[in-house]
Amino acid sequence: MPRSLIALAVVLLASASSVAADKLQYNRDIRPIFAETCFACHGQDSAARKAKLRLDVREAAIEKGAITPSKVDESEMVARLFLADDDEQRMPPPSSHKKLTALQKLTLKQWIAEGAEYQPHWAFIPTAKPGLPKLKNAAWAKNPIDALVLAELEKRGLTPAPEADRRTLARRAALDVIGLPPNPADVEAFVNDKSADAYEKYLDKLLASPHWGEHRGRYWLDAARYGDTHGIHFDNYREMYSYRDWVIRAFNANQRFDQFTIEQLAGDLLPEPSIDQLTATGFNRNNITTNEGGAINEEYLVLYTRDRTETASTVFLGLTTGCAVCHDHKFDPVSQKEFYQLSAFFNNTTQGAMDGNIRDTPPIVFVPSLDDRPKWATFEKQLKEARAKIDARKAMIRPKFDAFLKEQTTASAAEVATENGIQVRAALDGGKGTAELYTAANATAALKLPAGTTWKPGPFGGEAVWVTPKETGPNALEFPKTVGDFEHTQAFSYGAWVLVPQRGQNAGILSKMDNSKSYRGYDLYLENDKFAAHIVDTWPKLGFKVTTTASFNPNNWHHVFVTYDGRGPAGLKIYVNGESQALTIFGDDRTLGNAGEFKAKLGTIKTDVPFTVGRRTGGQQVKGVAIQDLRLYSRSLAAGEVKDLVVATKIAGLIAGDIKKRKPAEVNEIFEWWIAAKDPESTTLSKDYQALKSQEAAFKARGTIAHVSFEKPSMPEAFVLNRGEYDQRKDKVAPGTPAALPPMPADLPRNRLGLAKWLLRPEQPLMARVTVNRFWSELFGTGLVRTAGDFGISGELPSHPELLDHLAIEFRDLNWDVKAFFKMVLLSNTYRQSAATTPEKLEKDSQNRYLSRGPRFRMDAEMVRDYALTASGLLSSKIGGRSVRPYQPIGVWEAVAMPGSDTRNYKPDDGESLYRRSLYTFWKRAAPPASMEIFNAPNRETCAVRRDRTNTPLQALVTLNDVQFIEAARHLAQATLKAEKDTAARLQSIARRILARPFTDKESAIVERSLSAMLAEYKAKPAEAKKLLAVGDSKPDATLDAGESAAWTMLVNQLMNLDEVLCK
Amino acid sequence: MTPNDQRLLRESTIRDAVAIRSRRAFFGTTGLSLGSAALYALASGDARASSPTTSGVKTGINAALPMTHFAPKAKNVIYLHMVGGPSQMDLFDYKPKMGEFYDKDLPESIRMGQRLTTMTSGQTRFPIAPSMYKFARQGKSGMWMTELLPYTAKVADELCFIRSMHTEAINHEPAITFIQTGNQITGRPCLGAWTSYGLGSLNQNVPTFVVMVANPTNTEQVQAISARLWQSGYLPGEHAGVSFRSAGDPILYINNPPGVSTEVRRKTLDGLNELNQLTHQRLGDPETQTRIAQYEMAYRMQSSVPDLIDLAKEPAATFEMYGDAAKKPGTFANTVLMARKLVEKGTRFVQIYHNNWDHHGNIAKRMPDQTKDVDQACYGLITDLKKRGMLDETLVIWGGEFGRTIYSQGGVSKTNYGRDHHPRCFTMWMAGGGAKHGVIHGETDDFSYNITKDPVHIRDFHATILHLLGIDHEKFSYRSLGLDQKLTGVEPAKVVKALVT
Repeated sequence: MPRSLIALAVVLLASASSVAADKLQYNRDIRPIFAETCFACHGQDSAARKAKLRLDVREAAIEKGAITPSKVDESEMVARLFLADDDEQRMPPPSSHKKLTALQKLTLKQWIAEGAEYQPHWAFIPTAKPGLPKLKNAAWAKNPIDALVLAELEKRGLTPAPEADRRTLARRAALDVIGLPPNPADVEAFVNDKSADAYEKYLDKLLASPHWGEHRGRYWLDAARYGDTHGIHFDNYREMYSYRDWVIRAFNANQRFDQFTIEQLAGDLLPEPSIDQLTATGFNRNNITTNEGGAINEEYLVLYTRDRTETASTVFLGLTTGCAVCHDHKFDPVSQKEFYQLSAFFNNTTQGAMDGNIRDTPPIVFVPSLDDRPKWATFEKQLKEARAKIDARKAMIRPKFDAFLKEQTTASAAEVATENGIQVRAALDGGKGTAELYTAANATAALKLPAGTTWKPGPFGGEAVWVTPKETGPNALEFPKTVGDFEHTQAFSYGAWVLVPQRGQNAGILSKMDNSKSYRGYDLYLENDKFAAHIVDTWPKLGFKVTTTASFNPNNWHHVFVTYDGRGPAGLKIYVNGESQALTIFGDDRTLGNAGEFKAKLGTIKTDVPFTVGRRTGGQQVKGVAIQDLRLYSRSLAAGEVKDLVVATKIAGLIAGDIKKRKPAEVNEIFEWWIAAKDPESTTLSKDYQALKSQEAAFKARGTIAHVSFEKPSMPEAFVLNRGEYDQRKDKVAPGTPAALPPMPADLPRNRLGLAKWLLRPEQPLMARVTVNRFWSELFGTGLVRTAGDFGISGELPSHPELLDHLAIEFRDLNWDVKAFFKMVLLSNTYRQSAATTPEKLEKDSQNRYLSRGPRFRMDAEMVRDYALTASGLLSSKIGGRSVRPYQPIGVWEAVAMPGSDTRNYKPDDGESLYRRSLYTFWKRAAPPASMEIFNAPNRETCAVRRDRTNTPLQALVTLNDVQFIEAARHLAQATLKAEKDTAARLQSIARRILARPFTDKESAIVERSLSAMLAEYKAKPAEAKKLLAVGDSKPDATLDAGESAAWTMLVNQLMNLDEVLCK
Repeated sequence: MTPNDQRLLRESTIRDAVAIRSRRAFFGTTGLSLGSAALYALASGDARASSPTTSGVKTGINAALPMTHFAPKAKNVIYLHMVGGPSQMDLFDYKPKMGEFYDKDLPESIRMGQRLTTMTSGQTRFPIAPSMYKFARQGKSGMWMTELLPYTAKVADELCFIRSMHTEAINHEPAITFIQTGNQITGRPCLGAWTSYGLGSLNQNVPTFVVMVANPTNTEQVQAISARLWQSGYLPGEHAGVSFRSAGDPILYINNPPGVSTEVRRKTLDGLNELNQLTHQRLGDPETQTRIAQYEMAYRMQSSVPDLIDLAKEPAATFEMYGDAAKKPGTFANTVLMARKLVEKGTRFVQIYHNNWDHHGNIAKRMPDQTKDVDQACYGLITDLKKRGMLDETLVIWGGEFGRTIYSQGGVSKTNYGRDHHPRCFTMWMAGGGAKHGVIHGETDDFSYNITKDPVHIRDFHATILHLLGIDHEKFSYRSLGLDQKLTGVEPAKVVKALVT
């Protein structure tokens, strides 16, 4: 035997001497080995199975001769295990690159010798109330948690740590309950409280704090993958914070966890769901989405459903069902078909594939502000009633209208539209012939239509002139040269109903412009789907262009109208369908000054080319344009007049049109016009309604929206996808739950609500276990099952299986009461232990998995920042609301974002928003908050139930150098300088704020030395001191000495970087 | 080790001759002493702690692999990713026959119903746009190269061209995620994170894995990238890429606040260390010692960065190689020069992104702007690395996330056109780090549409890169979600031997 092996044996014998041996257990000792090395080929994935052998089913393994219970020599598996490394017959084969350790081989062999007993996977066995163990030190156990922990400690020859001192405990409990350091006064009160229930009272106060909901909510938001952007490609803003605020409120109201679960998975399916219940369904809407050009809808719909399924599986079942997307799960009893059955529950919502790059991707609902909620319900009713009155009135007078419409066979737009100042009106709706009559200066004239002119259905009734000018030649539609002969100092208006079937064009629709004379004239121009107008003397030197900021699909009929008051670009307006458009003014700076005013006056825009449809004279032709009701006015029409003009021309057109061809929607449109024009009663009702609508707008401005789930009316279904590929559908499946879990009762609906209720059934083994395990990990840093998202076979075994069951049963017995559950754990002696460790404990329980001491670990990203803000007094106590943008180094967003993204430029907020709790920080998924990411915050793209906890130099740089931390240090330093007079008192005051305890003598000596060094430095360098004090948005207190303030700032900065501060 | 493990060894089986034989095989026969790592491996059944072999070499600090699987060719990687997907037929994949096909439709026999993006799937025609650029043979290899890359042409014989890369993704987000992380779905670690995880740090005063985002001169069609591309996925967080930035702090928070000198910082840390030592004495938590060490490392990193970004000491010859653009922070030329300096200092993996290669239209303007950004810079990098004797150990990679179509998106003219995404073939190149030089690997059909010879899938490409780093991609895994996750995933992947020396 090599010397090293002897040494190993000696070590093992020595350490094992005190441990009682028991029989090998399949779940604990054998399955982990199988899962690691064997199940990939001999597990339940039928497609990957080799030699038709499966080792996960005892009978199957025996039948194939791999295992013969109690007979090692007759078990083929044993023979294969011990073959030489390079022997192809060896198991696992060399080609698998997997290898068993000597100990693993021996374990398998011994297990077969002991009878090869199997056990069902522990997590699928129903929870069982554990018996209370026999303990040596029974007095230590305050409650069953302690008893079960102590039993494990005693088995391992460990003893619990003494109880932590009160200050340590006060700090730890505050950080665990509210996520913030305790108020020094509360700590002192607790320390001095001699009553027996002092600790419990202290806990109760914390549990009643509204910060409880923020802290618990923060963990949940990781699991729910909450973020403030869509996540993919443009990664634009998604207004989602109503969901975040709901989570906080739910925890603060101590909503029972079963109800919390139901509302998130299926709040919309509850009877008459409240706004809160709908908001909760945002849980299913937090997934990342895309709007990338070129993306294929079905591909992303499949991904979204997959994400929801995986998230629900991880959070509520602790199962990594994602593995079954492409094939049967290698380890867990989830077949590929079962994955898609589960996914069918989530495959029936109305959400589309593309998020539209908008903040409010449907389906959404309006969420009034909390203050407005009592009023909103009443108001909404009022609004509905007002609407109902209008409808009732309409119904009443409809017969009268029908009679009117029957009689009315022709109508002239002139009847209703203004004729004041009209110069030309050309209806252009004749529908045949080569000439068309028009009115100019109160006389009718004939307009010759160019060769090739055809007709196209008008916007409503009648045919419209269809002009398709050739590339060269004069065959645009031309009016006599006297028409539209305006000067830029004159007021005039012009426009028509327009349709251009080909998008993306740049050409003049209406113009009196001579391209050959430097574009002199004016026009209505189509510029890449935007409407524009030019007023030009000599382009580009003298002239300007005004363009709509919005784009239009010119392939629909639009009424486009330009009004001009003769006073330059600011006096030019473009109306589309009667709505005044937001405009962009372009012009050479030789012409334009600020605010679109003339700098150099234009000479003239008059030309002797005709007013033309379809092309500027000498310019590029429109590839087809249809025109109807073209008008020129020699004055600037007011906004109301343009609106009336649209309605009038439209209604006139509709009435005059062919009755047989009239669509119901068009009849309704005439009706709407008719009641507005002819029924005063309706007008009054409408005015009332409009008044309410403007109130509604005010409500909306104060409120927000919620992204919600709505179920399609059809039955949920999904397809099994070959290798998970969206375009390779196999069998259609109905919603269903995995066979390995308790069946879904027949009376539960096969939808998300049924699924949620199934999860919460008492026989369900996973839901409660998984939930209490996450709660436990929030307090102890690690779950009893370390792999909090994987309770399957490949996950880790619980360190304390019986404790886990006990907690799960208790949580149910507490009726899913989260606060009561936490209080129970916080009251245990296990939790109250000191975190001080010993070399023995480090050896036997290095990771504190056996809980031989109190929890101590580096706080999460948010807590690190919130801690500094709280200790310094900067933290804002405001709860909820729009996400905020605190300090962030320049360029973090800009480096990755698309130029068109609305989350490209990071502009920090100012004032209170800089000092909000970190869970309110805007979470851009493509670039998560920089300082938090360094502290292992997840990117919130997918569900995360466990965070990494690294310890890196980059983290040190954040807490040493980030503006937020420097400003906090200065704030605390200056506040202390003002409040306390002498150095000793100041130091102790700071210590109480950031450590919740006074300094020890040894510490004081070091701290004082640091302080002296800093004082010497900054007293001597006032300029440097000023620079340091200027860091941050808030102003330093100028009444204090700069050198002293700077020195104390650096001292606090040093102390805020203490390991003790960064760790819970 | 559980009581049962211990019992097993104690009771009988330790004397089992078979077991001893196998254990001897396990530890090798060299009488290697049993350190704590090996003991841990034995106890925890960690099948991944593979046995050292004689040909592997020792890896860096905090490496998951104590030794490489075999002798590595490359120690460092500089990966230049061209975001958007460069047009292979306008740069490297010369298709002279296309001249005859101008404005003719892509034959259905070539397209074979392949799926298209929804940007061109509605097009009624697929008019062929031959490259408007002149091509010439370069170097001894005779590689056909575009006239737009005169500098790169000078080092053609250092390059290993792969004209037969292919992928399955057809849109940017999934495609870039695929080539960076081995999977179209987000959340997996990228190549740089894997390298950091496996091989560890060469110098803890600089980050192991650095990311730089260069600013392209032309920004007409910039595509999204995302920090997720350099996050660590399921690997431990410290393997995420560290952004090295051209504006603000070069490394986030690396600079002391205004008014805080290096001396003041040193004093802060001295006091802090003393206080932390007291905490350690009181609580005995080893993490406290780690924290003390991390603060010291942060301090050393702070000291090394100013030197790193200082280009004043670079001789004029440097800028003759890289071009004057290298003097301007944020240019592609500047980032590749920084990459050389970082690698020189010990950074293991540098990932650079250069954007605006998504040429759906206006190639006539965009392509010359793009090539001008990268051409001399790439030449400079390779020449510089070679001069310094670093090219042998530094693998340089150049390429995008997919290729582009031979047919034009929208209209076509002889002097301008646009091209849609094309996953079925695209060109990349490698240099140094054990990649063969002067090699042209793979061929495509006359339309640069389908691969006709030696296809290289992204997985093969990843396997090959790991191979050059001394890593067997099959053996290099990380346990997550119950699976041994690999960069190359579960589908077959092979090292392309023809590409490596």
